[in-house]
This record gives sequence, C-alpha cells and structure tokens, in this order.
Amino acid sequence: MAVARHGAASAAFKLFLLTSPLAIVVVLSLGVGSLMVVLFGYTSDQKAIAITKDQVKAHLLAVRLYRDQIPVVMGSYGKVLRGTGRYLKLTFKPLLYVIILITLLMVQVDRYLGAAPLLPNLPFLLTVHLPGQTSDALNEVTLVLPPEIAMTAPPVHILAENAIVWRLVGSKEGSYEVKIAAAGQSAAKAVRVGNDLTRISTVRLRGPFWERMFSSAEPALPENFPVESVSINYPNRDIEIAGHGMNWIWPFFILSMVAGFIFMKISGIRI
Amino acid sequence: MCLLALCAAGLSLLISCQHARGGAVRFRKVIVLGVDGLDPDLLTNFMAEGRMPNFARLAAQGSFRRLTTSIPPQSPVAWSNLITGMNSGGHGIFDFIHRDPKNFQLYFSTSRVEGPKHNFHLGSWVIPLGSGSAEQLRHGKAFWEILDEHSVPNYVYRIPANFPPITAKGKTLSGMGTPDLRGTYGTFTFYTDDPTASLGEVEGGETVLVEVKNNRVVTNLIGPDNTFRKNSPPSAEPFTVDVDPLEPVARIAVQEQQFVLKEGEWSGWVSVEFQLMPLIGSVKGICRFYLKQTHPRFQLYVSPINIDPRNPALPISTPSNYSSDLAKQIGEFYTQGIAEDTKALTAGVLDDKEYLEQTHSVLAEHRRAFDVEFPKFHDGVFFFYFSSLDLNAHMLWRLTDPQSPAYDAALAARYRSSLEEFYEQIDQVLGEVMPKIDDNTTLLVLSDHGFAPYRRSFNLNTWLLNNGYIAVKEGAGGDASEPFANLDWSRTRAYGLGLNGLYLNMRGREHEGIVEPGPQADALLREIREKLLEVRDPKDGSRVITRIDLASEVYQGPYARTGPDALVGYNRGYRAGWKTILGAFPAEVLEDNTNPWSGDHCIDFTKVPGVLLSNRRIEAQAPALTDIAPTILSEFGIAKTKDMMGQSVFQSR
Repeated sequence: MAVARHGAASAAFKLFLLTSPLAIVVVLSLGVGSLMVVLFGYTSDQKAIAITKDQVKAHLLAVRLYRDQIPVVMGSYGKVLRGTGRYLKLTFKPLLYVIILITLLMVQVDRYLGAAPLLPNLPFLLTVHLPGQTSDALNEVTLVLPPEIAMTAPPVHILAENAIVWRLVGSKEGSYEVKIAAAGQSAAKAVRVGNDLTRISTVRLRGPFWERMFSSAEPALPENFPVESVSINYPNRDIEIAGHGMNWIWPFFILSMVAGFIFMKISGIRI
Repeated sequence: MCLLALCAAGLSLLISCQHARGGAVRFRKVIVLGVDGLDPDLLTNFMAEGRMPNFARLAAQGSFRRLTTSIPPQSPVAWSNLITGMNSGGHGIFDFIHRDPKNFQLYFSTSRVEGPKHNFHLGSWVIPLGSGSAEQLRHGKAFWEILDEHSVPNYVYRIPANFPPITAKGKTLSGMGTPDLRGTYGTFTFYTDDPTASLGEVEGGETVLVEVKNNRVVTNLIGPDNTFRKNSPPSAEPFTVDVDPLEPVARIAVQEQQFVLKEGEWSGWVSVEFQLMPLIGSVKGICRFYLKQTHPRFQLYVSPINIDPRNPALPISTPSNYSSDLAKQIGEFYTQGIAEDTKALTAGVLDDKEYLEQTHSVLAEHRRAFDVEFPKFHDGVFFFYFSSLDLNAHMLWRLTDPQSPAYDAALAARYRSSLEEFYEQIDQVLGEVMPKIDDNTTLLVLSDHGFAPYRRSFNLNTWLLNNGYIAVKEGAGGDASEPFANLDWSRTRAYGLGLNGLYLNMRGREHEGIVEPGPQADALLREIREKLLEVRDPKDGSRVITRIDLASEVYQGPYARTGPDALVGYNRGYRAGWKTILGAFPAEVLEDNTNPWSGDHCIDFTKVPGVLLSNRRIEAQAPALTDIAPTILSEFGIAKTKDMMGQSVFQSR
C-alpha cells in the first residue's frame, strides 16, 4: 500500500515537473547553478585562484592597517590592482567555458519556456519577409494551409518592410506545417497549436547555422528560396510567481546564482 | 446525552457566529440586480408581449412596483440615494457636474483626481514631491460599509458614484464616475486622412488628420497629460498602421503587439504603456481599435484609453488586486465608468451598426463577469449593476419614436428592435438568477429611473437671459467657450447649471453674489418658478416644465444648501439643452433635439420612476430609492442609521 502511494506521489511529482514551467525553472536553476560551480572548479587553477584571492585580501588589509603611511597604501593599491588582473586572467578561461555552456543551454531552454503554443480559435499572425526590395515578388508568395488552420483575413502586403502578414487561426490542438510557396518552390513552417509545454520555433530563417542558432529551432530555408524569414507571433510564456508573470530568465538567473553560491560553500570550490 | 451535548455545542457555535457578526442574521442572501434606466412602461409592455418571461414570472410570483426616483432623476444622484439611503442633502451629489461658486470652475460631482501638491522643477521636467490623490466626493455611509461593520459578506460590481472605491472588506469594482486614463469620462480618437473631416476636439473625442504614405500611417496614441513635463503636455505612444494596397485590410503595430483587422472589424483589448519619465514614470492603459475604412479614405477609431485592470493607474477595486484577478478570469474589460461610446455615435464617427457592436461587447463583458462571480455567491449581499439599458435607451429611443426630430425611417426599420434585445438580455440574466432563489434569499431587481423621449431642448440660461435674470457684460454676446465667461455677475440674479440645476447668485456663497439669502432669495425663487411653469412650447402649446422643486423643501442633511437652489422638472419630451447645461447661451430658448441622444430621464422626477421587483411581497405602495439601503440592512437584522430617510420596503407603513 505504502509502495503504491509512493509510486503515485512520484508519478504526480513527475507530471508536475513536466507540466509546470515554474517547477522546471526551479529544478533547472538549482542544477545549472551547481553545474556552473563544478565546471568552474574543473577548468580553473584552484590553487592559483586561492593564492591570488588571499594576496588581494592581504593587500586590502594593509591599506586599512597602514592608512597613515601613504607609500605603503599606494604600494598596496598597486598590488591589489595587479592581483585583480591576475585573478581575471585566471578566471577568464573557466568563465568562458561556463558562459558558452550556459548560453547554449539557455537557448535550448528558451525554446520551451520562452513562448507558449498558439491557443485554438485565437488568431495569430504569420509573417513572411522577402530579401532586399523585391516588392513585385510579394504578390507571388502564397500559403498552403492544412485543414486545421484557416485564414481569417486577406493577407496584408507591407511594402515598407517587404513583408506579407497573414492572419490565421488553428481550430484544434496539434503540430502542423504551413507551406509557403514562391517562385515555383515551397518551404514549410512549423505551427504548434495547444496548451502544452513543447519546443517552439518562432521563426524559420535562411543562412548558415551560426546565424540562426540563437533565434530559430528549425532547419534553414532552402538557399535559393526567395524568402528570408517566416515567423509566427507566438505569445510569450510567463512564469507566475506570487501573482506576477515574468519571463523565465529572471527566476532562473536569481535561483541559479543562489544555488551556485550555496554549492560553492559546500564543495569548497573557489571562484 | 451525547446528542444533547452535540446540540448544545451546535447552538453555542451558532450564537458565537451570530455574535461575531454583531448580531446580524446569518446565512441570509440578498441579490440586487441594479439595472440602470429600466423603464416600468417598457418593461410592462415587453412582459405583456412575452419578451421578458423571467421578469413576468418574478412579477407574478412576487411584487412589481414603480420606484420613486431621486430629485433630480440623474444616475449619480439616484445611485447615491440608493447607496446611502439619503437624498442629495445628505450625500452631496446633485448632478453630474458641480461648480465651485467662488470661481465657477466646473468639476465631476462624484470624484476628484489631483496631482501631487508640491513639485520640483528641473529644466523641462517636473519632479513630484509626493503622490497625487483620487478623492470620492459622495458623503454618507454606503450600505456595504454597514454590512462590513456587521461582518456580512458582500460583493458590489460597478455601482455608480463609487470612484475611487471606498475602503471595503468585500470585492468592489468602481463604475460610473470612473475616468479613462486621460481623466475624462471617455475620449475616443478618430484617425483619418480625409482633409474635409472636421478636425480637433469634439465632445467626448478627438479627430486626428494622418498621412497615408507608401500605404503606411505612423501616428500616436494620445495618453494622459504628462505631469512630469512642464505645462503637462499629453503623453503619446507611436503606432503604425500598414494598409494593404488593394484589399480592405491592415496590420496595426502598437509597441510589441501587432494584429490584423479587416474593414469593419474590432480588435480585442490592446495594452499600451505611456512613458512619462524614462525609468521612473509610466502608466498602463488598454484600448480597442476599429478599422472603419482603408480605401479610398483611411478611417480608424480608437476607443478611450481605459485604465488597465491588470495594472490600474488609479484605484478601481477593493481589494486593489481584484480588478486584476477579474481580468485573469474574463480577460481585459472596460474600466471607464460609462463604457458605451455614445459620443462616437453622436459625432458620427461610429454609425448605428458600429455603435451597437461596441455596446453589445460592453454588455457581453458584464455578463462574463456575472457568470464568473454569481456562482461564487453563497452568503450575504450580491450587487450587480448593468448599464446597457440606460445608455442604449438614450441613444436608440429615436428609432421607436416617429415624433423625434432625430427619427430616421430607414434606420428605424433596421434597428427598431435593438433596445428590446438589450431588455431581453437582462431578462436572460434574471433567468440565470431565478433558479438560485431559495427561502433564505431575497431578490431585488431595480432601476434608478425610467425613461422618456427627448425631442426638444429648453435652454434655461437663454430663458433667464431673455427674462432679465442674467446680465451680460456690455458689448459681449451671451455665448462663449468658457462657462459664464461674459456674464456681468453684479447684475445677474440666477443661472442654470447642470441638467436640472437652477442657482441664485447668492451673496456670501457666489464670488460676486448679489441676492440676499432669506426672504429676498425665497421671493426670487418663487417668481422664477411661477414664470417657468408658465412656459409653453410655441410649436404645439405644450407645457415645457411641469414642476420646480425648491432645495429647501426637498433636501435634508448637511449639504442641502450646497447644491442648486431649485430643480427644474421638465415635461416628457423636453430636457435642458446641450449647451445650457455647461453655462452657455444658445440663441433660441427652445430647439429641436436632432442628436442621436434622443431618450432621457433628467426631467420631472414623477414622470420617470424606476422599477422594483422582488420575489417577496413588497408592502410599500410607493417605495423610493432611499428605501433600498434600509431594506438590504433590514434583511440581515441590521437597523438603519439615523441619517437614512427610508425604511424596508417589506415593512407595512
């Protein structure tokens, strides 16, 4: 009986984790905060950092103790500055590893927590941008919609932005593809309608991977396809904390710093 | 033995609960549906026609009475009577508009919003040293304050004359009297590229000329006056409209939001944040867009910028987060007191079809709020206010009145039944309430006044001028942009202000008063009253004014002498003219009212009673608005306060 109860509680907790963005942010922040400290510890010269920090502290102490002896104070300030420079040099490489890892991680997490899927029966906008000033080509771009997605207004051709905007609406939950046809070719844009926590790509772009990696979660548009980008105005996903909605990045930033600080004290890693 | 002990414990618990409420009766429910402008004659007709089955059932099973309205029968006055159980002498609200007798500054009667008293000037910036304030000007205790004192739970939705909402334990949302973000009763903006359009400010709105360049319009939403800047210029936030070159459709981009509208479509609520001072001061509002036309002329209507219920710039609810909680449940909603944009219809910016769409959306919001809140009600008092019948009777009366100068046969053929449809919707709401009525529930359905046609305008100030009671400065005409600007106060004995107010230029009260209080004032009032009652309409010989009530005879309480000295009661079909109510002097004393605002109630109070229906037998044969607060209190065993004039309508008199 107890085992069954434990199993049910465990399943409920897993479900909570899977469905609650706040729970995900909390768990992720704690894990990432600790991981940052571990990574820093492994990639840094801990002994040298410890010596440098101790030396800087000693020189700061000298400034306080000998404040009536100007030459000593000035000399100590110089050593503090040199020590700080040495500290920055020692932490540059490990911080770089941490920053690269965190950035890549945040980009991926933002795909899930940055935007919410489109709600059924609520209109959304799909915008196609064409490169350069090829306003004639605007008239040649058309959409092919799946049966679950409908167009609720004629497209707006915006010459000033070389863009076309369609107002669409999804009738039921699901993952769909809208085909954009132009100049005899076509490409698809993923559309997610629903209320779940899922990976969302707000835009599909042309160009090499490193130009797209921060903003798009979809493959590049075909190279010779006459469309520069296809975007959807997914609603922002807010994390509710004490009745206030906010982007996930704020609680993540604070909680991961707190977790990192605590883990640093526990593990003895010096930063 | 055990059973006996259990009973004793239960009894003691009941007594202690009773005690906790200060003696009030527990587990009683009072539901009040306050339907502004519900007219007894129309209701009787619609019930007879079978269009309002729930009202008919309630009238048959319980009681249906005409409810004596306030003097004058204006909504802020009438609802204040209901709220406090006192008349204007007690609560101090006499009209929509009051004046400061010392300088003739006009102000909204029910509330005052002021900026900080002290500021620090830094170049073109103004740094406030303190915060501003919003003050409610209605006096007297509201019935829900007394309920709070006796721990009776209560909910009060959009009752008029409660802005800013008074401190309350229960949930309240302010109603009529709540300003828009610009501090007005509602100012729409109309954007057009039509150079022949009349530009600038109109009553309740503003027309802005825009340029459509490369199918794009770049213009500004106009926000509240920026008190952080010298001379407080209006704040503005840019927005862009991209019009399709061929199709009647446009994309509108406001801050980070964008949406597409077809011609003839309304947007949902759009949030806009007005930056007043970088990093320090900003206010949030919400507005709706209506794309009236794209080609050949660009025409875009933007609703008044409402206070954002999720981030209210001024207090609009108790507790303060209630407006936000409600918005989470039903979406954003109109927070301005008078949400129906009658001014846009009057200005011709919206036509009848568009106005009806807008006003239906207002009622839909109220019904969504009702559907969310009513199921939560289990104990105490539930008050819910509906504005739709009042505003739409004002605007749609002409469609059923061939004698109205604003009657249009084609429009009437199309929209004649529109007002009935609003009545039917209120009947549907009652249909949702009726099944919840049990033996412990008292239901009151009431209105503050009825309705009458408004065909002819009587310009009281012009009449006073023509009859020698008002004198203008030599060489000046009577009319001016400022109220009473050209008056020679040293020779003016009386003036009209507001919809029913007649004031004497009283020595010691008005800045340059010349009429001595006492016998001289009384004689002058009697003289004017006799003359006004004799006024006949040259068009058909009808009496224009059927009664004049003297403040000294009809008002009791500490504020009885702070308002008008007499209240002009117009005959059905007549009302004070649009300009005279603000202190102007049109050429004619009587003129046709061609305004779509074609129904009214600001007349002789005996001609526009409201309604009172209940599931219980109403003993009072002539109940009045001032009886409602004592009635509600009485249902919980709470004695009325000594200031309250009325008594429970369920008591025989």
